[in-house]
Order: sequence, then C-alpha cells, then structure tokens
Amino acid sequence: MTASVSIQSVTQTYGAAIALNDVSLDIAAGEFVVLLGPSGCGKTTLLNLIGGFAEPVAGRILIGGRDMAGVGPAQRPTTTVFQDYALFPHMTLAQNVGFGLRMRGMGRDQRRAKAEEMLDLVGLPAKSDRRPHELSGGQRQRVALARALAVAPDVLLLDEPLGALDLKLRRAMQDELKAIQRRVGTTFVHVTHDQEEAMAIADRIVVMNAGKIADLGPPRQVYLHPQSLFSAAFMGEINQIPVQDGQSPFGPIAGATGTLLIRPEAIGLSGTLPLGPCRILDAAFFGTHLRAHVAPQAAPDLCLTVHLPPTSTITAGEVLTLAATDFVFLEA
Amino acid sequence: MSLASQERTLARGLVAPAVLWTLAFFVVPFLAMLALSFAHMEGRKIVQGFDPGNYLRAFGDWSQLKALINSVEITLTVTVISVLLAWPLAAIIAWRVPQRFQRLALLLAVLPFWTSYVVRSYSWLLVLGKNGVINQALMGLGIVAEPLALASTRTATVIGFVHFFVMLLTLTIYANLVQLSPNYARAAQDLGAGRWATFAHVILPLTLPGVITGAFVTFVLCIGDYITPQILGGNTELTLPQLIMLQMGRSGNFPMASALSVILMAVVSLAYAGCSRWLRLDRV
Amino acid sequence: MRILSWVYLCLAYAFVFLPVVVLVVFSFQDGRLPVPPFHGFSLQWYEKILSDTGLMTALWHSALVAFISSALALVMGFLAAHALARVRLPGSVLLRGVLIAPMTVSYLIIALGLLTLFNQTGIKLSLWTAGIGHVVINLPLCFAMAYAAMGDHQKTAERAARDLGATEAQVLWLISAPMLAPALAAAFFLSVTFSWDEFIIAFLLTRFDVTLPVEIWSMLRSGLSPATNAVGSLVFLVSITAVVATEVFVLRRAK
Repeated sequence: MTASVSIQSVTQTYGAAIALNDVSLDIAAGEFVVLLGPSGCGKTTLLNLIGGFAEPVAGRILIGGRDMAGVGPAQRPTTTVFQDYALFPHMTLAQNVGFGLRMRGMGRDQRRAKAEEMLDLVGLPAKSDRRPHELSGGQRQRVALARALAVAPDVLLLDEPLGALDLKLRRAMQDELKAIQRRVGTTFVHVTHDQEEAMAIADRIVVMNAGKIADLGPPRQVYLHPQSLFSAAFMGEINQIPVQDGQSPFGPIAGATGTLLIRPEAIGLSGTLPLGPCRILDAAFFGTHLRAHVAPQAAPDLCLTVHLPPTSTITAGEVLTLAATDFVFLEA
Repeated sequence: MSLASQERTLARGLVAPAVLWTLAFFVVPFLAMLALSFAHMEGRKIVQGFDPGNYLRAFGDWSQLKALINSVEITLTVTVISVLLAWPLAAIIAWRVPQRFQRLALLLAVLPFWTSYVVRSYSWLLVLGKNGVINQALMGLGIVAEPLALASTRTATVIGFVHFFVMLLTLTIYANLVQLSPNYARAAQDLGAGRWATFAHVILPLTLPGVITGAFVTFVLCIGDYITPQILGGNTELTLPQLIMLQMGRSGNFPMASALSVILMAVVSLAYAGCSRWLRLDRV
Repeated sequence: MRILSWVYLCLAYAFVFLPVVVLVVFSFQDGRLPVPPFHGFSLQWYEKILSDTGLMTALWHSALVAFISSALALVMGFLAAHALARVRLPGSVLLRGVLIAPMTVSYLIIALGLLTLFNQTGIKLSLWTAGIGHVVINLPLCFAMAYAAMGDHQKTAERAARDLGATEAQVLWLISAPMLAPALAAAFFLSVTFSWDEFIIAFLLTRFDVTLPVEIWSMLRSGLSPATNAVGSLVFLVSITAVVATEVFVLRRAK
C-alpha cells in the first residue's frame, strides 16, 4: 500500500542545536525520494520524525493526509530499515520477517507463508530457517527489507541501508531496491550521503544542508541545474567562477553578481562559452575520462577542473583553447 | 633456528612463569587435596589409596548431608531473589535515568561494595540483631513487644547475601543491557510491538545469556562463602563451607575437609553444566 | 509506570545503603554498643583503633601483600597474555584454559589446597604463603584483562618497533606496556582491591602476621563494638576516596 507524506514547517532541536529549521516537503504516494546530504544535515532526523521515533518541536507531519502528532511508531503506517539492520539474532529469518505480522495477530501458518513470499521477493528463497548470523551483510540487508515490507506499510523509510556494503554489491542492491519499489508501489524515503546512489535510484532528490533543504528535484535537474552553491558542489565536482556586475573573466554573462557554475565534463575543445587559451597544470587518466587541472590565461588565478575524452594526449605545460557547452549562473 | 621457532621459544619462555605458578600453586594443591580426600584419620594422616570413607560419610551422615542441602537451598534462594531484584534496578538505571546521571546512579547502587566484605556482613548484625536497628524501630513504634529473632537465622544469611549479590548483579546486568543496540527495541516497535511484547520477544531473549552468566557467578560465589553464614547464620544450621572449616579447625580432619571441598566443586561443576548453553558468547 | 520506577529506585538504594549508614553512624557512638539509641557524637573509637598497633600492623601487612601479589600477578599475566596473543603455540587453548581455571574455583578450596601443599612440604605459614594464594586468584584476572586488551593497534606498533631494531625486552617495556597501560592499570587496581579485602585465603594461610580482614575477624569474636564500626568506616572511606580519585584524575583525563 502507499500514501503521500507531507512535512509542514517542521523544526527540530536537540538542546541548543537546531537539527531541522522550518523544513517543508511534499512527497507523492508511490514516489522514491532520496534525502541526500553530509553528516549532520538533518536527513536522519527528518526520517526519524516521519517514522515517529521523535516528535518535532514545531510543525506537522501528515501521512496520507492524516496528522501524525502523538502517533507512535507502532501505530504509524511506516516501517524502517535501520542502518545496522537490527535483525533479531535469536529468531530465524522467517520469524524475523513475520514479526510485524505476529504483532498484528496473524496466525502462524499464514505468517510463515507470507514471510516466505517476502523472502522470495527480495531474492532469498529457501533460507527461511537460517539465522541472521549465518548470512552475509548483503543478505541481511535484504531480510531487513523483507521484514519491513511484510506488513505492507504505506511508507518505507530507509536509513543509509547500503552503507555497510562494498561498491559492487551496493550498485546491485540499488538496482534491486528500485525494482522492488516499482513492484510494490510503496512510497520510499531513503537517506544517504552518496550522491551517485541518490542519482541512481531517486525519482526526486532532496539535498539537505544544516537543517534546511538546499535543492529539490529529479536527479537530472539537481545535477544540471542546481539551485544552490551547496547542492552544486555536493552533487559532483564543479567549477565556480565569480561574476561581478554581469562581467566574468570570460566575457559578459546574463545576470548581475554571483557565481558561474560549469561541470568539468561540460568543458571541451568547442562550446558556446569560450574560455580562451588554458595552460594544463596536470592530467590523470581515470578510465572514462582524462581529468586535468587547467589555468585559463584570462584568469590565471583560477584553477579549473576539466574532463577530457580518454583518448586525449596532453601533457602538463601545454596550452589548449577550451570552451564550455553548458553552464549555470547563480545569483549571489 | 628458523624465525618462527625462535618466536615460539620466546613465547614459551614468556608464558612459562604464569603456567608454572598455576601448576605449582593451583593444580598440584588441588590434586594433593583430591588425594587427601581418600585418606582417613588415625591421629595422623595416612594416605590410604582409595578409601572412599569420607565421601560415604558425607552423604550417609545426616548432619553432613544437611550442610550440603542447606548450601544448595540457600544459594538457589539467594540467586533467584538477587536476579529478580537486580534486573529492574539495572533496567531502570539503563533506560530511565538520564544519560549523564547513569554512571553516578550505578556507582551509588554499588557503593557499599567498597566496605570490607567481612564488615559488610557484620553491619547486617547491627541491623537485624536483637538490639539492632530494625527491632528497636519496631519496638519503638509499638509494632512488636518482643524483639524479633532476625539475626542468627537462615533469613539473615539470605538477606546478607542478597544485599551483596544485588549490587554485583546490578553491575553485570547493567553492562549487559547497555550494550544492547537500541535499534532492536525500535525495530520491534516500528513493526507494531507494544511495551510488553517488545520486552518479551526481543529484550528478554537477547539479554538472557548475560543474566544467566551473572546468576552463575552469584551461585558460585555464594555457595563457597564462609563469612556471611558464619556471621549471620547462627549455630542452628551449617552450610558446606562452614562444615569444611569445622572439620579443619576442631578435629583437624583434613581428609574429611578435602572430601567435602571436592563435593563442593562437583556441585559447582553441575551448575556450570546446567548453564553452559547460555554461558557461551552470544552471537549478535 | 514512571513513578513506580523512581519508587523502586529509592527503595533499592535504601536497602543497599541501610547497613552502611548504620555502620558509619554508630562508629561515632558515645557508648559501648553500636546499636540504637545513639548516645552522642564521639571520636573515641577512631582514636582507639588508630592507636591499636595490632590493627595498624595488620593494615600494613594487607598493603604489602596486596601490592606485591598484584604486581607479581600483573607481570606474569601480562607476559603470558602477550606471548599467547602474538604467537600461535601448540596447545594455546589448553594453556589459556589452565591460566583461567582458578577463576572458577571457590577461594576456600584454593586455600585448602595450598594449606595441604604447605603442610605436606613443611612450608611454614606466613604473609608469604597468603601472598602466594593471592597471586593464584589474581593471575587469571590479570591474564584475562591483558589478553582482552591486546589489539591490532598495539600489535602493529610492536611490529614497527621490531622493524626499527628493538629487542623483545625493549618492545615489551617501551611499546606494549605503555600502550596497554589503561588495561594493565585496571587489572592491577582490581587485583589490589580483591587482595586487600580477601579473607579466607589470608585466614587459612597466615599464622602470626595477619592481614586486616583477618584482624577484623578476630575483633568480631569479641562481640559487637563501635571499634569495628570505626575500622569498617575508615576502610570504606579510604576505598571510596581511591575510587573517586581514580575516576576523576585518571579516567577523566583519558577522555
């Protein structure tokens, strides 16, 4: 089942520290939303508030249109996949997955059948009678997911569930999470600090910083058209060029005073915004591209990061004429 | 000599003192005691091969057997009561007391640990005695006319023991509760479990091994203790350690004392066998 | 439910502190018996015990036995733990088992065993024999704590030291011991605490020179007296001060 989530002007404090500062966000039913940001930005706090593990100091949280004030985690139509999975070590996988159903009074045979169905869904058939300690990290993560989905929540909350997995496994799990979400249609709210993960799975990304939302939108939009300096820098490497009264080192820019933002992969040998001759400072081969640091002669103090095609053969000291194919201007 | 075997020789050299000490002053004495338990007294000790006389007496003679029964009864009572009293105390300190006061609360709960064990038992005499605090208070309030015989009874021994072991168990159970990830309870609640369901299905099973380990330690320390029953128990009934000391003191009957000691160890081993299922490290 | 918790907490504290409060209060009794009624405040009993040479000597003996036996247990335990943690000897598991075994045996039985041994070998009872017994009970503790404290951090540091040319002795003295200092200090502290308060081994294995708990025991033989209260209260006070001092100066600084 599925429901929308509405966060209205929520503020949360821990003593004197402000964890969330008047945050508002609307999540549609069936959406896969990722809360992205560095440690301490408030993303986990927000997740906990949705889950009912804490009450906000100010503001409201509605799930499916219902105000959740005073409603504890047991009564909310949400379940959480915890960062350390929190699988009950003294129960079998089937008992773990069936726990929520047991709390709802389902009979033993029914529970077992449903548990096996869920374990099947997450790709762990025929393991119902094993115990958590017999499984690998990736397998435990799936069991935690199965357990959370078994009670058919309206909203599934995931607290950095892939953090403990190695890169290859993480990529595989990202795809699976996306597939499962499409299948069950539940609203997923996923917390992570990995921007690549966010882009891989999110319908919409919510970039957070210091208790506020710094940017919001589908991955393509947040990456290519960032709405804040913070989100631009967080989503990936970016070159920041100061613009004063419509003037930049590379010519006039439509806009007044602010910052010109250019992604490294948007700079090449041809483009709409000429950068003029640039001296190569260093270059390193990265497989999919050649990463170079360059100093444009128009602004010798600037050091720009550039991604050139992997077949380029350039050396430090060379001078190349470069141009940008895409850029964004952010008002100061 | 290869590097590996050099290392091994050095390691053996470093381990040797500890091992030799343990062998010389623990293993050998125990074996000597074991051998002695099969001897019997004729003014002087005579090692007589395999004379199980002492053991037969220990189980056949009612006054001897009673001491063993007393010890087991008292120890089981003390263990159960102490666990039942200490568990809530540890839980309250771990989960109700605010984080920054927990250390202080725990320290306060075990502070009397730092009185001498002998003095601590003695001080219960002051509380439970005929002229003691409790009796004087009861008489002063007019609740009783005659002082109650509280000291020099099995009850006094149990109280004296429980006082000590509640403190010990509070410490060990607290340490056990505190290392339990809070996410287990949260996960249970998240899935719909109420307070009691969370406790019964998640918290209790996960902390049980630690509690049982504490209970086992309590059992071992209690059953082998001479001091508390001697001070608080009076002369009407004896525990096994008291009997052992009696055999040594008055009659100098070392063989008998040795046999009784071996029996004491056997009881402890039985208890260990009974608990061993939980005493293994739990997998988390 | 909350109120019930606080009520239980208060009752528990009351139970735990009752005998200690009675002990301390009546150590100041201006009278012969350490029981109610409280006649008045007097320091006579403290004067009495502080001038009791028997007690003071026993105190000194306790300190001697505690520190020497604990130091010995610590050194042997540390060396053994270091060796077993680093090198895989055949029979390591057995050796560890042997070293830990005394922890599971009642002190009474350990004392009895040693008494049998000393009687049969003709060794006279003294503070030394009691000390031997205390090493037996504290060695497993020191070994276990040192062993548990051995970690990769310290092992790699040792490797670096050897790489730079240190001998084994230097590695142990300059690298291992200082890095493990907190655990070793804790083990020493615990051993001293156990030895200091230990009764049955000291009782059975000493003859003329005794330790404090044994001396207190003989005080008990002569009935209830505020002098005993005074001794107990002083021991209590000193112990708590030591614990608080450790907490404040050693543990706080480590944070």
